Order: sequence, then C-alpha cells, then structure tokens
Amino acid sequence: MLKSKKIVVLGHFGVGKTSLIRRFVTDTFSDNYKVTIGVHITKKVVEISAKETISLILWDLEGTDDIETIRKAYLLGTHGVVFVFDITRPSTFQHLKSDLKIVSEKIPNTPLMVVGNKTDLVDAKELQITLDENEITVDFLTSAKTGFAVDDLFTKLANQLAKDA
Amino acid sequence: MLDHYRREFTNKNIQFIFVDQKGVVQESDDEVFSVQTGSSIFELHPFFESLEGIFESPENEVDFYCVHLPLKENVFTVDLKIAKKEGGLLLIIYDLTKHYNTYQSVTQVRNESVIKTELTVIKNQELEERERFKNRFIQNFSHELRNPLTSIMAITNILEETKLDTEQSQMLQFLKASNANLKQLLEDILSISMIDTGKLDLVQKMFDLKQFFDLLEFTYKAKAKEKGLNFNADWDEKLPKFVEGDRLRIFQVVTNLLDNAIKYTETGTITFSLKLNQKRANRVSLRFQIKDSGIGIANENLEVIFESFNQLGAIGNTSSGSGLGLAIASGLLNLMESEIKVNSTVGQGSEFYFDLHLKFQLLTSPDAKKSSPKSHKKQELKKTEGPKSKLLLVEDDLQVQTTLFKILLGTGRFHIDVVYDGALVLQEVVSSNYDIIVMDVNLPNLSGDQITKLIREFPFNNVKTIPIIGITADGYQENIDKCRKAGMNKVLIKPFEKEDFLNSIYKILRNSKR
Repeated sequence: MLKSKKIVVLGHFGVGKTSLIRRFVTDTFSDNYKVTIGVHITKKVVEISAKETISLILWDLEGTDDIETIRKAYLLGTHGVVFVFDITRPSTFQHLKSDLKIVSEKIPNTPLMVVGNKTDLVDAKELQITLDENEITVDFLTSAKTGFAVDDLFTKLANQLAKDA
Repeated sequence: MLDHYRREFTNKNIQFIFVDQKGVVQESDDEVFSVQTGSSIFELHPFFESLEGIFESPENEVDFYCVHLPLKENVFTVDLKIAKKEGGLLLIIYDLTKHYNTYQSVTQVRNESVIKTELTVIKNQELEERERFKNRFIQNFSHELRNPLTSIMAITNILEETKLDTEQSQMLQFLKASNANLKQLLEDILSISMIDTGKLDLVQKMFDLKQFFDLLEFTYKAKAKEKGLNFNADWDEKLPKFVEGDRLRIFQVVTNLLDNAIKYTETGTITFSLKLNQKRANRVSLRFQIKDSGIGIANENLEVIFESFNQLGAIGNTSSGSGLGLAIASGLLNLMESEIKVNSTVGQGSEFYFDLHLKFQLLTSPDAKKSSPKSHKKQELKKTEGPKSKLLLVEDDLQVQTTLFKILLGTGRFHIDVVYDGALVLQEVVSSNYDIIVMDVNLPNLSGDQITKLIREFPFNNVKTIPIIGITADGYQENIDKCRKAGMNKVLIKPFEKEDFLNSIYKILRNSKR
C-alpha cells in the first residue's frame, strides 16, 4: 500500500509557502501574491526508489507572524514540517529560534526542515552575511520562482520520512 | 411549519457525513456536495486522509477551520467538526465559502500592505546606508585632499615670489589655475554632500540686489570677453534694490549657470537678465534668466543634467569640471523652494531660468547704500603696524606646517613657535605670551576645538583672550560651528589662499584688544 505522509508547511505570511508547494507539485510559479487563508491541501507522489514511492500530503497553512496561534487540529498526525522564511524580510526570520522552538513543542519528534526562500532576489554573498549576522542555520535555500532546490527539499524530506516509517 | 422553515434556513449549508473506521462513507445528506455511499472518503480529497490521525487521537471531537476543498467543479471553503462516534466518525461540514472569500479579500489587502511597508522600510534603510557611506566617503576623501592641496597652494604662492623665467612663470600660472579648479571641485563636492545630508542651512539676510547684479555683470562680461563672446546684462528697473535671502547661495546658483553658459558656448551671446515677476506687500517674485547661444541640450538629456556627476560637456563632448554644478544649483534652489527650468534646442542654445520669492525692504538701507561692489583686483594684504607679533602655529601635518611657517616667516611680521601635538599647546600658551594662535582642528591627543575650550576657560586673562584661528580640512558647517562655539575667532577651511590666510591673521590682530 502507498505510504501517506502529512507535511505541514509553516512560516510567516508572504514567505512563499504556497509558491514552494506549487513549484513542487505542478512545477509552476506565479508572481501574483494570493494570500492563503486557512489551509490548502495538495498531494504529490514521490519516488523514493525504483520499488518505493511515498505520497506526500502537503498542508499549506495560512501564514502568521505568531506561530503560537497555529491551530492544534491542523497539526494532528503530522509526519514532517517545513518552516519557511523570506530571506529578504528580516521580520520573517528575526525570531526564527523561538519560532522553531514553538514548532518543536507543538509537534515534538517530527523531522523539520528550515528553508530560506526567495534566493533569486539577493546576491549570494549578501545572503551569507544576513544568515551569519542573524546566526541562522538553514537546511535549504530555495527559490520557488526559479525552482532552485525545491525538489531537493521535498525529496530529502520524503526520503527521511520513508526511512522513519 | 416552523420546523420546515428552520430546516430551510439552517441546514442549507451544513452537511452530515458518517464514515466507518476504514473511511467508507456510510451515509451523507449531500447538503453541500454529493458523496457516494460506499465510496472511500480518503479519495474525495487529500484532506480526508488525515482522518486516520483522528482515529488515533485522544480527542473525541476535532474542529478544522477554513479548509479549502476543491471538489469537481466547485471549490468549497468549509469548517469541519469531526466527532468520534460508535463505529466510525461523524463529519459535520459547514460551507462558509462566501464568508471566507470576504475574509480572504480583507486579509489580502492587509498582508500586501504590511509586506509593502516592510519592503519600503528595508529599501529606505538601504538607501540611507548607501547615502551615509557616500557622505562619509566624500567627507574623508575631501579631508584627505585638503591638506596636500593647502601645501600645494601655499608653495605655489611662495614660488610666485621667487625669481622665475618666462616659461616658469607661465607654468606657474597653469599650476595656479589647476589649484583653483581642484579647490572648486572640493567646494562643489562639499556643497552637494551638505545639500544631500540636509546639513546646509540658508542664511537669510538683507542684501543689495543691484550690487549683486552689477558684480555678476562685471565678472561675466570679462569672462565672456576672454572667450570672444558677447554678454548682455538686463536689469529690470522695477526691481527693489534690497532683498532678503541667502546672497551667497543665490550667487552660487547664478554663477553655476553663467559658468555653464560660457563653457558651452563657442560663438554668440550670453544674456543674463533679472526681472520682476510681481511685488506684493513686502514680498517680491524675481526671475533669473541665463540664455546662451551654445551647443544646446537634447530633450532626452534634460532630465538627467541635474543629477550629480552628469556633465553637459559629456553630452556635447567637451567635458570638463566636476559635473556637480547643476546638481548644486538645483539642490540649492530646492532649499529655497524653487526649481530650475530649461528650454533648449540642440545647436541653438539653452535658456535656464528660476523664480525666487524673497522679502524686500520698502526703504533703501542707508548702510547698504554706502557699500559698493567688491573689487576683483587682488586684495592687498593689510599688515598690522608696530612690532612683530608672537604667533603659535599648531599643525601636525608636516607639509602644511612647513608651508604655513614659510608664509608666516616670509612676511617678517611674526615670531613663530611651532607645536604639532594638541597636548603641548596648553604648556606653550602658559609659558609664553602669544598674540595669536593658528591651530589645526584635527590634532592628535587633543583636538583644536577642545584646546580652544580649555584656553577660554583659563583663569588668566592673558591666556584666555588669545585670538585663535582654526584651520580645518573638514568644511562641514557643523564642524565650523563646533569650532566657533568652542571660542575660535575664525575658522579657515583648507585649502586657502595665502592672502586670505594672512589677511585673517592681520585683521584679528588689528581688532585684538590685548
């Protein structure tokens, strides 16, 4: 039977959560920002190996600047978390450590990927300075617009979840 | 009957579905969307795959809000209550699509506005940082240039007084002209930096407008003649003689425009006119107009000519100068709540004009009447009479120190002591009776303004009243104000001409009550 894994995608509003999912699922991108309210759920089957596939159920949650307010129900049965911030907007990563702590408390013992999105908008050197200055460690730096590292992100998480299952 | 109506109005948007523990639909009232009995709810939409998690959850009821369910041709936005019941789960689905669409629109506007504000703040911070960097750079750069230029100018002056052959004299004149250009460039850079940082304050004073006009006419008639151009000056007799404004800055604007007119005109006429627009009560509107028959400016370049380092010359391929003149003129007029306007035709010439709204004096000032246009002839140095004065020169830059020392020594009017360290000045002024101190502001250990402050606080009258002339490479007004506030009698900005330097000393010594 096809294994199903629920992944919630969290982060402040406007960081590109929906765009990342759209790029991963349909390989498309739109410059028009449409605010997500509540939750959008999509599914993509990922090939782990020649013999194994996994179905990722991606929960795209409404962005919030207060991670504490995320409804508990949305997180029920979560297998993996992707926390996204926008590398061009300090407000989305200035409390990253405390945001991640809250996420870990709400969904303990769950694989978590920290993602800095919108790399297409900054120079690599500047980006490294920003990350160093803010003592940020990321798992992936992505661009939903160009598609940079988007597949790698979800594939890595899928592999991890398949291994954990 | 009421039950019928109640059902009609309350149940319309609520659907009840019952699924067994394997997720198979047992029953649905299909109020919102249709679900086939016997089908798997998990296949309806990925959301329902999460129901498995609810079976495992300790909660008996779980609420989900604002879940988007794209089903067949419709997208529903619903709230769901999922309750554990015997043999399965009861799903109560509230269709709130309309309500959430409204909420979405409101949130869209709010979030867009927050993000826009955030990005604007970031952009502004970046621009401010760049501006700060630029101004720091300009400040340091002009400071570093001023010291060597002071030495070059002083040495040129000294050289001029030696015996030179014709060729050497000619080369010296080139050297002097280059010095003057470099000095002007430094002044321009400083001006633009001060305008950009808002550090330039206008000094509004009553001045003689006719005299101002005559001076410009006199100066530029000569400059135009040197280039073989005609110069017309047109003074409107209806203009008041005295107006209130920042004479120096208005002069800077007009001279920038007149310099450009001469620079970019090879044949023909330059016309400078000053006309009355209107007079009302004690306010007057003036129009300054500078017209040339030069190379003209193409339409596409008209917008960029007021930007820093943009040269009209670059357009006409005869570039020289800093490219700051029009940017300065425009910035200064902006401070005066005016703006430059241009009409130009390539190959025929340009017309620059601006209006100024100034106060004017209804009666002619008797004091001002006595004044006359400044002479352009080199001012003769006015020496003090009597015995030699004792002067303390405080300068840490060896080149500047040497050249100033030579200039002072060359006059034969001074006994000179030299110190290079701020900390040594106090010791010197107590042990010797100085008539005047000439002191660099930027000194090691104690700055010139700090030393001045300490001297002015001394208990002994012969020390506290020593006249002090500050010399500084930092031409910013706040530095000058700081020095004056500390008690310096005069502040000279490097580089300066020998005659200005000596005249300042002589004037202060003449006025000194010591």
